[in-house]
Amino acid sequence: MKEDLQKAIKEALSSGKASAAVILLEKDEELMPKIVTSADDPAIDSLYAGDKRYPMASFVVMLQPVIEGNIAIPVRECDRRMLFELEKHNQIDPDRLVLLGTPCTQEVADACGCDHPFTENGISVAPTLASPAEPLPLPEALQSEDPDEKLAFWMGEFERCIKCYGCRNVCPMCFCNDCALDNLDLVNAASKPPEIPIFHLIRAVDMADRCVDCGMCEAICPAEIPLRHLYRQARQVVKDAFGYEPGVSEEKSPIEMLGEPSELAGMEEGFRTS
Amino acid sequence: MEETLEVVEEEAPAKPERPEDVKILAFLCNWCSYAGADLAGVSRLQMPPNVVDIRVMCTGTISPHYVLKAFQEGIDGVLIAGCHIGDCHYGKGNYMTAKRFRVIKDLLAGMGIDERRIRLEWVSAAEGQKFQDVITSFTEQVRAAGKSRLKGV
Repeated sequence: MKEDLQKAIKEALSSGKASAAVILLEKDEELMPKIVTSADDPAIDSLYAGDKRYPMASFVVMLQPVIEGNIAIPVRECDRRMLFELEKHNQIDPDRLVLLGTPCTQEVADACGCDHPFTENGISVAPTLASPAEPLPLPEALQSEDPDEKLAFWMGEFERCIKCYGCRNVCPMCFCNDCALDNLDLVNAASKPPEIPIFHLIRAVDMADRCVDCGMCEAICPAEIPLRHLYRQARQVVKDAFGYEPGVSEEKSPIEMLGEPSELAGMEEGFRTS
Repeated sequence: MEETLEVVEEEAPAKPERPEDVKILAFLCNWCSYAGADLAGVSRLQMPPNVVDIRVMCTGTISPHYVLKAFQEGIDGVLIAGCHIGDCHYGKGNYMTAKRFRVIKDLLAGMGIDERRIRLEWVSAAEGQKFQDVITSFTEQVRAAGKSRLKGV
């Protein structure tokens, strides 16, 4: 796997298909990214190709404006979905990317509950290593129909939040220059721990038509808040209402477009809640 | 001769037991619903005084974040009222409202926040009577849901 990735990166750089490549290096068990521009760069020999994940799609948003030519980037299937969604939001230029599809191992797939641990897009650097995993089970409180129990569950989880903004900072889909979480009229900057549930729900609303369910937010959360279930719930709302799935559906998000009258058909009874 | 002091404790007059009433925030669109509310006012239609309104130029400007902020600040119910579909002053602004409303309502319901606390209505400038009906029935609806417990949790 490591040799395959090294070979693919060297080939992309030496053949001129890409003018730069993003690789990950591991130091003190932490990952850090590095940009290499030459196939002879010694850093390629020590690149990291293990199970730890890193939001690769964020680099594309950052690097494309400053690097001329194509960028080669190793992607997992979730990274590929992010790039697709970023393309729909006009954040990246897909023609200037060389995707190096890296398959996930079975351990990663099982830990993520991923039903698609390999990517068919781009250059595949290694054959499929994992079979689709079972989806992760819902917490018991969320299976109940009782609204009080659900609210109590979420408030209990949100209570642990230390307001580190890690979920936003790691998320490749959080590309807005002006973040609602930095808006002093919405979020009291001085309040630590944050005001709940607004702090988490603001992000949940924004993720409803963007989240590609990579689970990086939950993995990074120091308070272990089950954010993935929160954003999944939000995704499900959009899927039920509009049949739109971020990262999968070809069209642009319906709640970012004004739309056509036909889109509102059958929604009239949804307006009223009496 | 010793003086005896009698301490008389005055009893405070009993206050009538009255539960704190619900507070409702209404976002009204400038072109239809605000004018509709105005018509209801000049027609002297009686309605519950629980509603505080915010005039917006179009309901399409209402971000779901505003609704969340209202609930965070202790509002018990949020009403969004705008022009009927097809009558929007800006063409399609209320299409956006309809779609966003669906998302925020379902999301709040999924969180365990009562669906009765949020409502979308189309009220035109000529519908003063409808405005009264909406305010009256929505206030009843929010009262049935009770006070929100989100603030200060």
